[in-house]
Amino acid sequence: MTKTNKPQKTRQQGAAIKMISPYLIHLSVFVLFPVLFSIFLTFHQWNIISPMKYSGLDNYFHLINDRLFWKAIINTLFFLIIHIPLQLVVALFLAWLLNEKIILRPFFRASFFMPVVISGVVVTTMWQQLYGLETGVLNQLLTAKGLSRVEWLSHPAMAMVSIAIMATWKNVGLYTILFLVGLQAVPQSHYEAARMEGASPWQQFWYITLPAINPTIFMVFVLSTIGGFSLFIEPYIMTDGGPLNATLSAMLYIYRQAFGYYHMGYAATLGLVFALLILLVVAIQKRYVENTEHA
Amino acid sequence: MALIMMALLASCTNAPSNADDLTYWTSNNGGEIAFAQQVTSLWNQQGGQQKIAFQPIPEGQSSEEILLAAVVAGTTPDIYSNIWQGLVEFYSKSGILVALDTLKGFKELIAERCDATTLAEITSSDGHVYQLPWKINPIMTIYNEAILKELGLDSFPAHYSDYLVAAKQYSKDTNGDGHVDHWLGNTSMKLAWYQRLFNFYPLYLAASGGLPLIKDGKASFNNRYAIEVMTFLQSLYQNNYFSRQVESAGQDLFIAGRYGSKWTGPWEIEYLDKFKRPGFQYSFTAMPVPDGHQGPVYTYCDPKGVVIFNTCKHPQKAFDFVRFMMAEKNDLLFLQTTHQLPRRKGLDTMKSFMTYFETHPHMKGFARQSHFVRGSDVSPHMIEVLDIISQEYEACVIYQKKTPAKAIEDAEKAVNILLKTID
Repeated sequence: MTKTNKPQKTRQQGAAIKMISPYLIHLSVFVLFPVLFSIFLTFHQWNIISPMKYSGLDNYFHLINDRLFWKAIINTLFFLIIHIPLQLVVALFLAWLLNEKIILRPFFRASFFMPVVISGVVVTTMWQQLYGLETGVLNQLLTAKGLSRVEWLSHPAMAMVSIAIMATWKNVGLYTILFLVGLQAVPQSHYEAARMEGASPWQQFWYITLPAINPTIFMVFVLSTIGGFSLFIEPYIMTDGGPLNATLSAMLYIYRQAFGYYHMGYAATLGLVFALLILLVVAIQKRYVENTEHA
Repeated sequence: MALIMMALLASCTNAPSNADDLTYWTSNNGGEIAFAQQVTSLWNQQGGQQKIAFQPIPEGQSSEEILLAAVVAGTTPDIYSNIWQGLVEFYSKSGILVALDTLKGFKELIAERCDATTLAEITSSDGHVYQLPWKINPIMTIYNEAILKELGLDSFPAHYSDYLVAAKQYSKDTNGDGHVDHWLGNTSMKLAWYQRLFNFYPLYLAASGGLPLIKDGKASFNNRYAIEVMTFLQSLYQNNYFSRQVESAGQDLFIAGRYGSKWTGPWEIEYLDKFKRPGFQYSFTAMPVPDGHQGPVYTYCDPKGVVIFNTCKHPQKAFDFVRFMMAEKNDLLFLQTTHQLPRRKGLDTMKSFMTYFETHPHMKGFARQSHFVRGSDVSPHMIEVLDIISQEYEACVIYQKKTPAKAIEDAEKAVNILLKTID
């Protein structure tokens, strides 16, 4: 092993620090400081323009008894329960279609991806028109076919489902591309061998495709979960958390506390607890997938 | 992070050309920008005084957020003219506004513009006045005149029972799909706190003769008037007399003739004159009141005021400009330019305003109504109070999950807990 002399080592360290300093500065200013400041805020009452007041654990006690926050958490989980499986299945199906030799394949790829790059506000406004009770296109189609109209956004049991459908439409393109990459990486020789052994298309999918794209499934699962937890624009624009708080997401509630009522300390507490919850859910997902892989 | 971005945005403003000039932020609607341009130009032409540089408030999600960001960034203007009355207590308690009653000329200006009730409404809990009442947009009932003929009425129903009868008569399914598609009225179903300023609150003021929601630091709305209002509104939704459609951008079912009426302010006039169908006739009338109601019909007036921030180096000079801006001739200029009412007593009988009201008959109705209006109560938590009422409103009125009495009682309890916990 070569022994590096001291000045050279110092020079190397200096160069290393210089090279990583942009990242360190970015991390400190935009990640570490906000996180530490948020934790500090959780022990205070602060409306931004008045001096902070130390409040000990008051914000945490208030959170425990805040029924609306827990409802918002349940709503968000409900959204995830609908949104994630729907997104996985639809994205996988579309990826499978795009992996086949169909006509206009580039056009369909671009079309499925289009909603991903459209502003969330635009998409939400558009779907609001589709979901309109009296004048919405979907209900007009239903009534034209002699079917009952649906209270897409004004029925407490239906509103979050409607939002989940819309969110799936908006994001599915991204996950379709990820699955497509996964599918294209599966060696064709595996399928050929399976076909020679007389495996049905379903068996090929179940025993070759699914295990091969397992890492992609996990990635989509995690990304959808994190994305789903940050549900905000859709209920903010479409329902403002209603009807009867059925679409009040955790992010919307935190936003309302921070920028509606200026309860910055309480909003920081909600944010911290919510972040820990996301961490917990993602850790469980990871554990589950790892266990499945080893099994 | 959002706060940092907003603060940056709020700090990206046109600095006045001279460091000694005063900055005046106005609302960013076209009419008010035009007015600010004219009035600052008139002031600056006079010479020998502090010059005023005006600019519209920077674009943002809401003017409240931009103001807050400006406070954080230390870039507040000297003068701001479009602050909602219900927010002033929040800012004044934080010590960022100038107490205007300490400035020379305050008493004269207030005596000229306000009656005792308005003065009480704008006086902060510490006894000082931090805002000058500038403009109002009273909420009234607008209705399609064609429906009177259809219902065989001489005038639009003024009392709840008449209103409900007319609503029943007017509701109809015109395309035979089994769903009502014409309603007597419509009001927003959205949960946002400010939506209650256009339905529950003006109806409550109308029913109660202008009683406050908050009094002596406690909820004061658990009374028969609030319950009557909730009952009335609940009947409208329960019987499908009001639409449950959430209107989206680009739709106007009032112009389309699907809604016979709605509750709105004078801004509707300019909009309708621009977009209504040929032959579409409309009128305004007061908010409906409970049967047997005696006395004048009050309403909410969406009041906006003028404040001076304590970052202002020359508050007296800023006040002198505001006084100039609110002089009678400039109020007339404001009315002509923006078609919004200056908040000034005896507006409909002032000689200088007569010609305007003769040529704008709909506005005259609003000017008459201006005798019987209320703004917001004095509390730093008005937004949360209205949010609590909105939650109960939705549960009771739209979804009939609670009785009106229970909804009002729950709202009272929640508001009292809020005021006790935070204050």
